[in-house]
Amino acid sequence: MEMELKVNQDNCLGCGVCVVACPVNASISNEVAGGHGSKTTETIMMVENGFIKLFSPEKCTKCGTCQLFCPTDAIWLE
Amino acid sequence: MISNTKEVQALDFEISRSAEEKRELLYKDDICIGCGICEKTCPVDAIELGSIGAIVRTGADVPKIVCDEDKCVLCGMCSVVCPVDALEFKIDDESIKDMDEYPQLINSAEINDDTCIYCKACETACPRDSITIARNLPDRSKLVTGEIDIDKETCIDCGICEEMCPADAITIEHKLPTPDDPTVSSDIIVDKDKCVYCLICKKSCPVSAIKAACRSCSYGEYDLNPEDTVTTGSSFIDHETCVKCGWCQEICPVDAATVVKTFKGELHIDQDTCQACGACVDICPCNVLSFPQSTVPGKSPEKVMSDENYCIYCGACDNVCPVKAIEVKRTDINHTPTKSKSWEKQIDSLKT
Repeated sequence: MEMELKVNQDNCLGCGVCVVACPVNASISNEVAGGHGSKTTETIMMVENGFIKLFSPEKCTKCGTCQLFCPTDAIWLE
Repeated sequence: MISNTKEVQALDFEISRSAEEKRELLYKDDICIGCGICEKTCPVDAIELGSIGAIVRTGADVPKIVCDEDKCVLCGMCSVVCPVDALEFKIDDESIKDMDEYPQLINSAEINDDTCIYCKACETACPRDSITIARNLPDRSKLVTGEIDIDKETCIDCGICEEMCPADAITIEHKLPTPDDPTVSSDIIVDKDKCVYCLICKKSCPVSAIKAACRSCSYGEYDLNPEDTVTTGSSFIDHETCVKCGWCQEICPVDAATVVKTFKGELHIDQDTCQACGACVDICPCNVLSFPQSTVPGKSPEKVMSDENYCIYCGACDNVCPVKAIEVKRTDINHTPTKSKSWEKQIDSLKT
């Protein structure tokens, strides 16, 4: 049973830790691998206008890393 | 029309069909390591592996595999290839593990109690907490002998010896003084079974009330009975949770543990592709993978380290890696023979 990546912008601090922690994002974007925010919608998620937003969620492999790092339960798998 | 029935209890399930014979598939989620071998083997694609990374790492209350009872034909193949026996298949209440006509994966873990010195290294190392070592230590009082005597007339009941004694062998029965007995203790007792004749009490007594001597120091080990020095015990392996990873065998200092593994293979990690997210480290049931510490300043170590001595080539890490940096190859499968060509072929397909 495949889980789904979910976000709740009401909880999001806009810190972007999920963006840089995500191993898929880091493999897609050199900026993310270097610890910066993403500059391409090719990544799974990005902080836009201070909130997390999913751009390419179909690339998510459900490893759970973003959920482990998020301090406010704004991104999770269910 | 005969159809399968499915019972779900918490994360476990049971699928069964009753006709001339009763066939049942039972799944235990707490045993499952999420390797996905059942999913790969199922001939009718009835089994689906869940999002193992998320399930294991976030503790989600979701089963690691699901089985579609409408697709499942109750052949029992998944139970045969499950490397940890999380799936059990029964025909008329008898497990196919006990039937010669079905093939079985060959694997085992044993501890030989005749060789074991009960050091508990295996118990500590076991990544599944499957080993229990029960041991009876030698009687301390038989390993060291001596003489100790406290002169109660000289003793001032200060309690320094009681506090200093590392073996808790001295007890002073403290009391409030009364006009007819103006002392602060009613008695001082030495438990000679606990006393190790270290002479700390004698050396720390402010009024030299203690006379003590250690016979072992004077006479060496001449009066020691070798039988009294032996630690005895027994070992226990919980075969339900044991994954036959080989940690006990590798760590045992006296080669008392023997592990036979089902799969031979290779584990490759592409350090350039790895993003060090730790999913593989968290998923591995055998504690094969770890993040290394840098030993030389300014030099970054490998992102993920592996030691294949402990690998069972289950492939859980390969499945869970989000960036395909891990490759697990199975080159050989140790199993009992089967006359069925289709079963042989399906088991053989696990080689990669």
